[in-house]
Amino acid sequence: MSRLASSSSSLVSRVAGSGLTREVKPLVSTSKREARQRVLNLYRSWYRQMPYIMMDYYVPVSVADCRKRLKEVFAANRHLTDIRAIDMLVIKGQMELRETIEVWKQKTHFMMYFRDTVKQKPSEGFLSKFLDGKS
Amino acid sequence: MFHPGGVHGARHIAQSLHHVKNAIRGTCSSKLLMQQKAAAAVAVESKKGTVTPPPTGPAPTAPAAPNSVEVYIDDKMVMVEPGTTVLQAAALAGVEIPRFCYHDRLSIAGNCRMCLVEVEKSVKPVASCAMPVMKGMRVKTNSPMTRKAREGVMEFLLMNHPLDCPICDQGGECDLQDQSMMFGSDRSRFTDIKFDGKRAVEDKNIGPLIKTIMNRCIHCTRCIRFGSEVAGVDDLGTTGRGNEMQVGTYVEKLFASELSGNVIDLCPVGALTSKPYAFTYRPWELRKHESVDVMDGLGSAILVNSRGGEIIRILPRVHEGINEEWISDKTRFVYDGLKRQRLTQPMLKNSQGLLEPVDWEDALSGIAARINRVPGQEMAALVGGLCDVEALTALKDLMNRLGCETLCTEESFPMNAAGTDLRSNYLLNTKITGVEEADLVLLIGTNIRFEAPVLNARIRKAYLHNNLRIASIGERVDLRYETDFLGDSVHVLAQLADGDHKYSEILSKAKKPMIIVGSSSLQHGDGTAVLANAIVLADSLRSKMSSNGDESDWKVLNVLHRHANQVGALDLGYKAGPSAIKQMQPKVLFMMGADDGVVQRRDLAGDAFVIYQGHHGDKGAEMADAVLPGAAYTEKYATYVNTEGRAQRGNVAVTPPGMAREDWKILRALSEFVRGSSVLPYDSLDEVRKRLAEIAPHLTRYGQVEDANYFRQSKDLVWNAARPGHSGQTLPAQQRELEDFYMTNTISRASRTMAKCVTAARHQKSTRYGL
Repeated sequence: MSRLASSSSSLVSRVAGSGLTREVKPLVSTSKREARQRVLNLYRSWYRQMPYIMMDYYVPVSVADCRKRLKEVFAANRHLTDIRAIDMLVIKGQMELRETIEVWKQKTHFMMYFRDTVKQKPSEGFLSKFLDGKS
Repeated sequence: MFHPGGVHGARHIAQSLHHVKNAIRGTCSSKLLMQQKAAAAVAVESKKGTVTPPPTGPAPTAPAAPNSVEVYIDDKMVMVEPGTTVLQAAALAGVEIPRFCYHDRLSIAGNCRMCLVEVEKSVKPVASCAMPVMKGMRVKTNSPMTRKAREGVMEFLLMNHPLDCPICDQGGECDLQDQSMMFGSDRSRFTDIKFDGKRAVEDKNIGPLIKTIMNRCIHCTRCIRFGSEVAGVDDLGTTGRGNEMQVGTYVEKLFASELSGNVIDLCPVGALTSKPYAFTYRPWELRKHESVDVMDGLGSAILVNSRGGEIIRILPRVHEGINEEWISDKTRFVYDGLKRQRLTQPMLKNSQGLLEPVDWEDALSGIAARINRVPGQEMAALVGGLCDVEALTALKDLMNRLGCETLCTEESFPMNAAGTDLRSNYLLNTKITGVEEADLVLLIGTNIRFEAPVLNARIRKAYLHNNLRIASIGERVDLRYETDFLGDSVHVLAQLADGDHKYSEILSKAKKPMIIVGSSSLQHGDGTAVLANAIVLADSLRSKMSSNGDESDWKVLNVLHRHANQVGALDLGYKAGPSAIKQMQPKVLFMMGADDGVVQRRDLAGDAFVIYQGHHGDKGAEMADAVLPGAAYTEKYATYVNTEGRAQRGNVAVTPPGMAREDWKILRALSEFVRGSSVLPYDSLDEVRKRLAEIAPHLTRYGQVEDANYFRQSKDLVWNAARPGHSGQTLPAQQRELEDFYMTNTISRASRTMAKCVTAARHQKSTRYGL
């Protein structure tokens, strides 16, 4: 295990209650700045790829919808400060992107990104039957 | 009264009454009959007292009228009135004699010879439909002689009948097919040795509704008799004799009757069939659903035939109280209008002001968002005449919960004096069957022939058989019987009400007078005066009747509505007429089936939000900001109250198209989206009907007529309110000629068949033969 320079304080995590600090191995980035750059790169690749993804998938959303959703997904993790966690998410994001571009995903998998934008329909009672056309 | 199970019973009684009339008449002409009217009336009266329990006919021990005679049908004794025919006596004994030309509701022709039976001590077999019974007559309906006679008749009929049953539309419901199986020979002697073929007759073009294949005609003359007796249109007749005889219209012309479709049902073979139904399905492939017609205010009983989610044809059902067995052409042929111009998706106006299809949730929440911004006092609802009682109830409950009290019908009604508060003011109080008892009918501002064709047929029947006298006020129209024309404005009516018209004396002598006020005349500027004077006149006639010692509860005043459920809407407490809406200029207008265009955009507030719920894209949907697709009358379980005040149920024949839903359900769903605690307290049809019964119990007493009886109070209110003045203008007939009959509501306006009928009627007018 190679040890990192003690100057990279961000890679030192505190063990709760012990008062000790422990140095850990970085995933890819060694600084916050580097991690941020990776995030932006990933964001940009997704952003640029959107029109082509729309060509490959027959989905009921527009490029604009997807870019809006992309921003939301990234923004959902903006509170993260741990470089390793950020890196890990970036790696996962790249995998997702590849799967999408190569059409290893199918329509439903792609639409999973929009899962929590779906309005919950009433599951019982008169209205649910009415809206489902079952009443 | 009509119960599905008791059809035969009710029918039997009415038929036997009718038979007596026919029997007395025998084969004589209707003019002769009119001279014998007095005798007939006596016979009818006496028959009423002694009518025997249907449907199997009287038991031999049943108490018989003193002058009845005994007849033996296949050695079974029956007691019948003298003058009854052998065929009717056999029916009472439970023996059905085969027939082609004989029909219960038509005069006796006796020309098909299929009903030949052997009568003891008679050398030849006799035609039972035309032969009156004689004392001690012994009839053999199944003797070798009878059977041979029938077989011979069948052989002669089939000799000139084409063998095209496989492509004949009558196949499966053909009397000739059935009877040749039952009574015909099992082998044919027909050999065309001279190779000159069977009799060939040119087909006639008698309009867009009836297809004729005259080779198949067996000359029963039912269609001719229907035309001249029931419809009053003598267009059909025969030319030639013997083998050369042809049934037709002499010159090529339209069979110009609003009841013409009934000859399709009457024709015992496939000579007259339905043009729109031609080559579609066999009768046994169709699903049949009992339902109620909505094309006029009578609510005729119909049988909707469907297959694969489509309506294939509409046939009449027997209902002695309403339509006997006739229906109008609009009722019968309008069904193709249910497939065109339909609203199938909810729609909302987008930012460009165009209606855009949306799903139900968006539509309802979008509408609710607009409704929630407006207080109840600035909302209004307007309903058309095709809405069912369930939907009307749901709409009224919803609007009332939102604080809105302005719910109106498109059709207006005079609101002075009692207005619609007393039910007796707006019903056809003597009922449709009252026509048969009446001795004088006064028609006011109605072209009853097109507003209620089946009722007009009944008036015509009474005119022929009971010597009913008919007088009319309003624009002069051709009703196919003679009327005493009194004048064309309400002025004459006012004179009659005051008793200073030369006709007053004749009116006051009438034992059972009926005044029928057409609802179209009440839309007129003089409508208030029409109703007020009619109420006064009816009351004076009524009091004359009781001063003459008549203690019956005969009601004189009748209002004939033109819309299927106008009475239902008034019963539920809807205001008649859109004037309240025009006054208040609402910010939200909910239109349900309102397609007559009585309220326009300019009658509303500038930024008003208009919601239209209904089944056809017509005037209503055109001005709407939101469209909710509802179900038509064949697509929902619905209640309609006819002009007599009879609640009747329609049933589902097919499902509503696309995303359309039953109307009360749409309102129930909408109630979950709007503000406050407006959720309607019913989730199922049963619960809705429970609510109907809460509001007015008669709405769920299906098939029964709920009487109303506040004539005296109504008249007092009219007296106290000072009789309204009038302009004395002609009371116009809104449907003047045959071409005006076919397209009167949103369904018939969408129908291609009806459009063809209008074209044909107009064309007919332009020919030399006229209408």
